[in-house]
Amino acid sequence: MPSVKPLRDTSTDTISQTSSETSVLTERPWNVVVWDDPVTPMKVVVVIFKRIFGYSDNKCTQLMMTVHHEGRAIVWSGAADRAQSYCVKLQVAGLLATIEQDS
Amino acid sequence: MAKLFVRRRDGRIEVKLNDAGRAIAREAFGRVYVAEHDAEHEWHRTLNAPIDPSKDADDPLAVLARQSETGSNAELAVATVHEEFLNDAEAWAWLTTMQVALRATAVANNLHDEETLRESEPATLEYIRVLQDFLHGLADVL
Repeated sequence: MPSVKPLRDTSTDTISQTSSETSVLTERPWNVVVWDDPVTPMKVVVVIFKRIFGYSDNKCTQLMMTVHHEGRAIVWSGAADRAQSYCVKLQVAGLLATIEQDS
Repeated sequence: MAKLFVRRRDGRIEVKLNDAGRAIAREAFGRVYVAEHDAEHEWHRTLNAPIDPSKDADDPLAVLARQSETGSNAELAVATVHEEFLNDAEAWAWLTTMQVALRATAVANNLHDEETLRESEPATLEYIRVLQDFLHGLADVL
C-alpha cells in the first residue's frame, strides 16, 4: 500500500497555532461604551441594545440602568473591528457611543 | 394617552398620528437627512461624533458606513411618513431617525444634563417631549 503524504507540512502547525493564540490572549480588548444623556428614553435604549446585540431583556435593562446611574456602560468587548462596527450601529441608532481599549 | 403606534395581528404597525404629528415627524426626519449631507448644518457635528475620541480622525470606512446608514434610515423615514402602516424595517428607521433628531436637538441647545434640560426654552422642551412621546410609542411596538 503506498504511503500517503500529507498535502501540507504540519510540522509547524503547533508553533504557529500557539503563537496565534498567545497574540489573541495578550491583545487588550476594545470596549464599546454607551454614555448617558438627559433626553433619550430608557425604553428606547433597551430596544436598541436588544436589536443590535440580541441580548436578553434582562441584560439590556441592566446595561441601560448602568448607563443611567453611572453615566456610562461597557456594552460589548472584543476585537477592534467588531467594536468599531457595533459603535457605528449604536451611533446610527442615535445613542452616544465610543470605543476605548481596555486598560 | 391614546397609543400613537399599534402592532396589528398581521405584524404591521399602524401609525395613529394625526396631521400635526406627521408634520412634526416629517420635519424631524427631513432635518436629519439634510444634516447628514450638509457639513454646515448645526446637527452635522452630533451626527458625526468620533468613534474613538483618542484619535484625531476616525477610520474613513467607519465614517462612510455611519453616514450611509444614517442617511438611508432618514430617507426611508421620509419616504414612509404618510403611510398608514409600517413594517418592522420602516418602524426601525422611524425610531432611529427620531432618536438622532432628539439627541441632535439636545446637543444643539447645550442640554447636557437634567438641570440644563429643566431650564431650557419652553418651545424646545415641548419639542423634545413630543419626540420622546413618539419614541415611547415606537419602542412599545418594536
